[in-house]
Amino acid sequence: MNIPSIDAEALHRKARQLRLRILEAIAKAGKGHIGGAYSCLDILVALYHGKVLNVDPRNPKWPERDRFILSKGHSGIALYAVLSDLGFFDVAAMNTVCQDGSSLGEHPDHRIPGVEIDTGSLGHGLNIGAGMALNAKMDGLPYFTFVLLGDGECYEGTVWEALLFAAHHQLNNLVAIIDRNRQITLDFTEDCIRLEPLEKKICDFGWDVVMVDGHSYEKLNAVLKASRQPESRKPLAIIANTIKGKGVSFMERQLKWHHGMPNAQEIEIARKELSSP
Amino acid sequence: MAMNMDGSKPIDLRDALFDAVHAMASKDPRVIFITADMGSWSLTRFREHLPGQFINIGISEQNMIGVAAGLALEGKRVFVYAIIPFLVLRCLEQIKVDLCMMNLPVTLIGGGPGLCYASDGPTHHAIEDVSVMRALPGMTIYNPCDQYAAQAAVRQAFDQQGPVYIRLDKGRYDIIHKPDAAFEDGVISLKSGAGLLIIGTGIMTQQALKIAEMLRPAACGVGIADLFRISPLPCRKLLDLIKKSTHIITLEEHVITGGIGSAISELLADNNLNIPLRRIGIADVYCSQYGCRECMRKSVGLDDVSIKNNIVKWIGAANC
Repeated sequence: MNIPSIDAEALHRKARQLRLRILEAIAKAGKGHIGGAYSCLDILVALYHGKVLNVDPRNPKWPERDRFILSKGHSGIALYAVLSDLGFFDVAAMNTVCQDGSSLGEHPDHRIPGVEIDTGSLGHGLNIGAGMALNAKMDGLPYFTFVLLGDGECYEGTVWEALLFAAHHQLNNLVAIIDRNRQITLDFTEDCIRLEPLEKKICDFGWDVVMVDGHSYEKLNAVLKASRQPESRKPLAIIANTIKGKGVSFMERQLKWHHGMPNAQEIEIARKELSSP
Repeated sequence: MAMNMDGSKPIDLRDALFDAVHAMASKDPRVIFITADMGSWSLTRFREHLPGQFINIGISEQNMIGVAAGLALEGKRVFVYAIIPFLVLRCLEQIKVDLCMMNLPVTLIGGGPGLCYASDGPTHHAIEDVSVMRALPGMTIYNPCDQYAAQAAVRQAFDQQGPVYIRLDKGRYDIIHKPDAAFEDGVISLKSGAGLLIIGTGIMTQQALKIAEMLRPAACGVGIADLFRISPLPCRKLLDLIKKSTHIITLEEHVITGGIGSAISELLADNNLNIPLRRIGIADVYCSQYGCRECMRKSVGLDDVSIKNNIVKWIGAANC
């Protein structure tokens, strides 16, 4: 399989820049889910800046575009950072997140250019994505549907209904990416309700499953681009092992930063870390 | 049982409705029908004729709403079917987020309104769904009382840009409406009167007609109206009927909290109308015994005699 290569270092630089924008937006908003935004940001940058997704910022509703659903809607600010950086809408809008009268709330809204559906309630995205993928199969359309879920979201029973459905209908144009940061709000997933062995469970539901380092652009690029050239009739789940709070040392793997709000001193430390090369 | 215009017997409401969807699907490949493992003769015909437009999604109603939303986002006209409690109450949040918030043209066909699944017990009864669905912004609710109303609900749902909920009863019922009745008005006057007005919905409109007969000869000028579209409430047409009346009865096989009685009382309040209203429906209880539908109705005071006595007691025999 011929996988186009990427400039991993350039993507890392881009991700640092976007993490800083997310930090500034959350500082201005006075609220946000920074930990999960940072755990999935490299996946989003790999998908969008790494040109896995076939999308056009000048024509967000282009019929042949790939469909991307951020099912873990509480990481909306990470998606806004990526979409605005690519020109789906003005980067200046990042300063308005959660502000009075803004079109950018904490969770994605289908009226935002580049956003397919409303999310924020967990356990909806994969079902809707399965419907979109089924539509492509019915009509012989070439687009792929990518859905990014949180691992905590996999506690929702609807996720497993969608896994059953997509496998039965052989939706190999559907890719589920699980941001496996192993944390929920109050606990670590394996201490709350065990998800492991997650790979085996999803495999047993009739999906192909691959594991990947969710912060390695080389590995993400290889897996994500290969997903567009399916060799089986099964849908594909990518379990991306990630670190919640990735990129800011004191936030990494700390439960506090699910939706903790950094104080002025912490913001300054985070700024320095994200600004240094 | 009243005959059709052409002399044929009434058909089962489910067949009337599903055959109407089938006819649309035959002409328009965008029409997709998804069932959560519920069937009927007419659906068997649909599935055999158009297998590519028919999905049995299994007993997974929440997934059904999500998949329907995904298909609708891509331009399909989707009809989904399940028993009401599992379609409406189990999936309420999917209906809100996946359909109403994005105003998607998905039609929810809920089987078994009220006490339809009588001896199946309260898990299968649908006596709270109208209250719940009325609260959802953008949701249109149809409650057909005969085969022509059922077919009209499908036609109107197809023309709708947003989500629609149709309460679908089962069985053969008297033909009440003409095929070309003004269903688009949302409420249809079946008998005009200048005193008591009974507003029924769904097959309770059938019962309203029986009650009116029972009130005779005392009943001079009892008006009967069929509330075909519960939401959005056809306010103007209802006000035209209400303003001609001295007393109003609402009749529903549903809890009175949030049902059509509540909707009419809101209409009266919002229009500063001081007309006596009696809401006849199910009180704040789940049925605690089993039996046929008529038996269940009797247990909650919704059989013909109980309703008649309720009305007579309320406004006095002299006024009936």
